Amino acid sequence: MKEFNCIGCPRGCLLRVEEENGEFTVSGNSCENGRKFAISEMTEPKRTICSTVKTVFADVPVLPVRVSADIPKDRIFDVMREINSVTLDKRISGGDAVIENVLDLGVDVISTSNILNEHIYIKTEGK
Amino acid sequence: MNIKALNKKLKKQYGDSVSASLEDNCIVLRGSLDSWEDVVAAGLLCAKPHSKCHVVNDIVFTGAEQLPMRLPELKDAALDGEKPDVLIIGGGISGCSIARELSRYKLDILLLEKEADLALGASGRNDGEVHPGIDLSRGSLKHKYIRRANRMYDRICTELDVPFKRTGQYACFGNKYWLPAIWLHAMWRRFIDGIEDTRIIMGNKLRQKEPEINEDIAFALSNPSSGCVSPYNLVIAYAENAVHNGARVSLNTAVTDMQVENGKIRSVTTNRGTVYPKLVINCAGVYSDEVARMANDRFFSIHPRRGTNSILDKKAGRHLAAIASIVGASTPSKTRTKGGGILHTVHDNLLVGPDAIETYERENTATNAESIERVFAKQRITMPTLTERDIITYFTGVRAPTYEEDFIIEWGRKTENIFHVAGIQSPGLTTAPAVAEDVAHEAAQWLEAEENKAFDPIRHAPPHLAAMSDAERAELIAQNPDYGVIVCRCEEVSRGEILDALNSPICVPTVDGIKKRLRPGMGRCQGGFCSPLVTKIIAEFLGVPLTEVKKSSASSPIVFESRKGGSKDV
Amino acid sequence: MFDYDVTVIGGGPAGLAAAISAHDNGAKALVIEREERLGGMLKQCIHDGFGLSRFGERLAGPEYVERFMTELYKRNIDAMLRTFVTRVEKLPDGFCVVTVNGEGLKKIYTKTLVLATGCRERTAKQVFIHGTRPAGVFTAGTAQHFTNRLGVMPTKRCVILGSGDIGLIMARRLTLEGAEVLGVYEINPTPSGLTRNIHQCLYDYDIPLYLSHTVTRVFGADRLEAVEICEVDENLRPIKGTEKRVECDALIVSVGLIPENELAESIGVSLDGHTGGPVCDGQLMTSVPGVFSCGNALHVNDLVDFVSASGEEAGKNAALFAAKSQRRVNINIGGEFLYLVPQQLDLEADNSKITFYFRSKKVLGKSTLRLKVDGAEVWKRRYPLLRPPEMQQLVLDMNKFGISESSDVRFEIEVAE
Repeated sequence: MKEFNCIGCPRGCLLRVEEENGEFTVSGNSCENGRKFAISEMTEPKRTICSTVKTVFADVPVLPVRVSADIPKDRIFDVMREINSVTLDKRISGGDAVIENVLDLGVDVISTSNILNEHIYIKTEGK
Repeated sequence: MNIKALNKKLKKQYGDSVSASLEDNCIVLRGSLDSWEDVVAAGLLCAKPHSKCHVVNDIVFTGAEQLPMRLPELKDAALDGEKPDVLIIGGGISGCSIARELSRYKLDILLLEKEADLALGASGRNDGEVHPGIDLSRGSLKHKYIRRANRMYDRICTELDVPFKRTGQYACFGNKYWLPAIWLHAMWRRFIDGIEDTRIIMGNKLRQKEPEINEDIAFALSNPSSGCVSPYNLVIAYAENAVHNGARVSLNTAVTDMQVENGKIRSVTTNRGTVYPKLVINCAGVYSDEVARMANDRFFSIHPRRGTNSILDKKAGRHLAAIASIVGASTPSKTRTKGGGILHTVHDNLLVGPDAIETYERENTATNAESIERVFAKQRITMPTLTERDIITYFTGVRAPTYEEDFIIEWGRKTENIFHVAGIQSPGLTTAPAVAEDVAHEAAQWLEAEENKAFDPIRHAPPHLAAMSDAERAELIAQNPDYGVIVCRCEEVSRGEILDALNSPICVPTVDGIKKRLRPGMGRCQGGFCSPLVTKIIAEFLGVPLTEVKKSSASSPIVFESRKGGSKDV
Repeated sequence: MFDYDVTVIGGGPAGLAAAISAHDNGAKALVIEREERLGGMLKQCIHDGFGLSRFGERLAGPEYVERFMTELYKRNIDAMLRTFVTRVEKLPDGFCVVTVNGEGLKKIYTKTLVLATGCRERTAKQVFIHGTRPAGVFTAGTAQHFTNRLGVMPTKRCVILGSGDIGLIMARRLTLEGAEVLGVYEINPTPSGLTRNIHQCLYDYDIPLYLSHTVTRVFGADRLEAVEICEVDENLRPIKGTEKRVECDALIVSVGLIPENELAESIGVSLDGHTGGPVCDGQLMTSVPGVFSCGNALHVNDLVDFVSASGEEAGKNAALFAAKSQRRVNINIGGEFLYLVPQQLDLEADNSKITFYFRSKKVLGKSTLRLKVDGAEVWKRRYPLLRPPEMQQLVLDMNKFGISESSDVRFEIEVAE
């Protein structure tokens, strides 16, 4: 049996997973997401990552980004390397992709802010 | 006391490990001891208060490793070959006030400070009290200068545009049986010493003025002429006015050696080149005996003494309007200077402390929990409502006393072109304006300098908008919109004021330099919100990346580069 | 005479929610924000996990707060950016907010105030960390600002003190960005942050968590060189002999948040010693009528969803308060008064037995106290002697004088010749 906490929500339920002939039995969860998380942790643990990418804009030196869906836990630092290699030169909006299908993982790295597109910033930059 | 008797005493205390001899009218101690307390005690044992026959304590301290003087990282030849009339060593209150008074004469004045800013030694790390001189013994230089200097403060602070308040001071006594003796003392001070306004105030009257003073305080000695000033702001103002009148200040510049020939300093070696001054003025604080040694003129010793002060939130400022201290209370530690007090600062915080601890480390300004606990335990006797919960920060300074516990303000004894302003400790901040006048006068006479007719005594501090009326403030913002952009919310400091400080006569483009001049980071959030913003303004001003901005010295970067925008292989 | 019904101070998640809900409840609202951009601290909270209960999604901080910003823009609610409130003055029936920005000083008259001023971080000195004062001591929020908004690294190798959520989040953040986090030290025997953050921020990255440990000293004259770690006893006091030196270039402290209420205190709002925020009623109104509090200024929340909810509540109630016909009338004084209390009448209330207290400005002989409504005398009393040290008291039925909101109600003292 394996025990670990769910990270799905602030409740942080203590999940217990039993494995029998490739079948998982989950207890301790309070919702379906907890059960799914438990099984995913046993088979292919996944995480989200949030970071920033460098931009060429002096007023916004870095733009916050995240992956559009969870990625395998063991690829986190590979994806970080991709994120760190970007220098953004377009004023993109929140939700826009910064890297499409990063490392063929089937997820995008997307912007999480409109900061590059807000009028106030364009105004202060004197454009 | 003759030297034989001294040696007998020393032998009784320390066996054969210490001996004294009389050399060039100095008592020179030699030997080795492994306790710093003993090293200091041996020095004090041989010293006579205020005597001109000083103790030179050469006892080797074997108890711990002594660090060499902190030196700036900078190395260049910017000053190489300079031949100033006067070279002032040390950018504390003594050095800067003397530079300013000397700039009344037609002289080439160069002031060196080894740190990245002025007032980083004891001058910037004290409570800022302007003392009345009620407790100084006659015959000392401290006593000679205190009254004259105290009276000068209104003029000096007006000229230099530095906030100064005569808040008054109460030396509190718990036991009413002391009243007759203290009354006599006060009368004596009043009529003989000219401290006209000193008087006794009884406990109930005192509590009408300061309601939070302890019920147990029977009476106090009230000294309305006491006040407070921001000590580092005064030092900076003095230096800025000196520069305004033609003096030069070189920061990050340390004196490492001197070449002395025929009883005269020929040249002074620094990390920025060799300088050939006509006259050297030694204002080097805790290193003043070292500077004297370099000049072949060592006739005194400094024994560093640490003191820690706590700064309380402005909300605690309402507890006390003046300065209060307790006299005669038994304290757990042996203290040599009077044991600190509670002080309402010019910025309306409360300041509590300091204590007084002997130390072999001249530059260790690290704080420790015991000092704060000790200081609070003592000061709570005066004001029981005092609480450590109100503390927003604390700092330690290292004083530079001699064993005779008096100032040294005199010409070199063996070297002719050096003047020592050493052993300056409390009330050295108070006495500085008067001492500076006298030293400048002596030096100018020696150099046969002419008066500088263009001397302008007025220094204009950069505008302080939060203290202005709405109309004045609006007018300044109309002229410069940066005055309306608030960067530090605790102390209400604008971007415009920060740019002013960066454009001031002595630009110190560091986070601490700005903090000292304008107070962003000194409020209750202690820079939590504003430090990134201040860092950014400095970087923009200097035209450098954020990673080049320092907290203070060249080796104190605030941030490092990120890995972003680089290659994938990193 | 009022510019706004509801003025919200602070443009973070609480303030934005307050302004939107005040607007939706019929009020003319204004948001005043110190920074050049709305969003408050969420601008730098780029990690995900926000809005789970409100939107059913795991959003990053900027995504969450920008949804509110969009709502604010949609409604054309006024927002003053890069604007600092320098003081607030209390008026008989509202407030005057004095602001400073690049355009100058401005007085904004508002019927109600919502204080959404957030909180600040407790500093290293406030938890009595001793030693030198080198560069490299940051609060977690400051480190976050440098990392997430300015794109620079506050450290290459650090120790984090405090296992509060911001500390945990920063442990992961700095690790992702290539820094080495040597450990998170927590003075308490249990972690302070959410369990899921212990797992996804520390365990996922093999960052050790040391409970019942604290940092007692920092070393380094220029940049931080090391910290001293100590175990603590059950009273959270460091245990002598357990000191350990850990070499690092930064100490990041996450040791608690303090609601910011200096502005609230300046207008007489009473605070609760436990929360650090204002004492509030069910409508989130403080002890000063017309002043509301929400978000982390009210008390420190662990989820932004609660912050938004309290903002909405405060905004709505401020709007309702402003709308309620505030039938108040000032009581003016003239002649030789030092003062008179109360200074106002609430015309909605029962005013049949109002006790007045007053003092004369100086010693007066025979004098007459008159009450005039719109210039006409409606009541008087003679006094043989009035002296400032002797407070006078009188009880009047203020219902019978036909006073309305527009009345000029005035007490005067007239000295006999």
